[in-house]
Amino acid sequence: MRLLMNPRNQLRLFSLALILTAGLVGAAEKNPQFVQVTIRTILAENKTDDFDPKLKGMERQLKPLKYRSYRLLKAEDQNVPSQGTRSFEIPGGRSLTVAPQEFQDNRIALKVRLTEREKPVIDTTVKIPNKGNFILGGPPHDGGVLVLSISATAQ
Amino acid sequence: MRDCESIRESIGRWLDGELDTAESESIRAHLASCEECRKAQQQLESIDQILKTTLLAEAQQIEFLPFWRGVQVRIAQKTPWHEQALEGLRATFTLSRAAWLVPAGIAVVLAILSLDSYIPGLREGRNSFASVESIDAYGRNVALLRENESKTTVIWLYEDQEEENATADEPAKSAPAF
Repeated sequence: MRLLMNPRNQLRLFSLALILTAGLVGAAEKNPQFVQVTIRTILAENKTDDFDPKLKGMERQLKPLKYRSYRLLKAEDQNVPSQGTRSFEIPGGRSLTVAPQEFQDNRIALKVRLTEREKPVIDTTVKIPNKGNFILGGPPHDGGVLVLSISATAQ
Repeated sequence: MRDCESIRESIGRWLDGELDTAESESIRAHLASCEECRKAQQQLESIDQILKTTLLAEAQQIEFLPFWRGVQVRIAQKTPWHEQALEGLRATFTLSRAAWLVPAGIAVVLAILSLDSYIPGLREGRNSFASVESIDAYGRNVALLRENESKTTVIWLYEDQEEENATADEPAKSAPAF
């Protein structure tokens, strides 16, 4: 403790703390190696009033869509390398391609492309909070519409 | 050989024992051969003697016992922790010791800036919506919804209402219902 009474030693110690903190800040903002992308494919329709219990955590997100029934058709997750691309099969001959673009300010930029029988339906780039999601919906399917929940978690 | 003036300047320090051996020897040798300087030495010795005698006489009249008791009480007295802490703080924040404040301040700012990277959800509510940077629906209609309650961003693709009416057997409409 006596060593700490010396201003020169205090300066050394806090410079070390500063360097370590700067290192931690740098590490925190470093791009992740992988992004875990989860796609949940949901069929929304008005035939029944059933709500799939597997979608319990999404009730509040689906509520504004005003459909009567929601059913989880498929859930798939893949670890996508940063700057890499992965495709997810979506019912109805569709495919969703996801490519993480950057990680900044705890948000992940995802480039997303939906195709239907090889033809592009939508190309979009969305920045989502780490561990957050967004919803892409509307393509007609099996008497209802498809709702895709696209979430990403930096690894 | 040193001159008398410089010897006389050094006599006082010689009498107080502040000179090294060589200088003391030089002064002693000079005094043995110089009457004037020896007189100066004797004068200084007599002043010293008078001063010593006076001090001793005065000191006998001073009551030292209460003074020593006070010192002993203060030594034995334990300083309360809050006074020690206050003293420590005062010592730490004196200008000469406050050099660490600048790097410490920077470290605190950096730590605050990086907090949300380490505490999940800290930034929620301030920036928890997904934001659409670009969108190309290849001529299709697109609606964007940002729902505040669940902090959800929805991109909704839909056909023209007229086209949709033409397919009357479609039970669920794909046009946005929100």
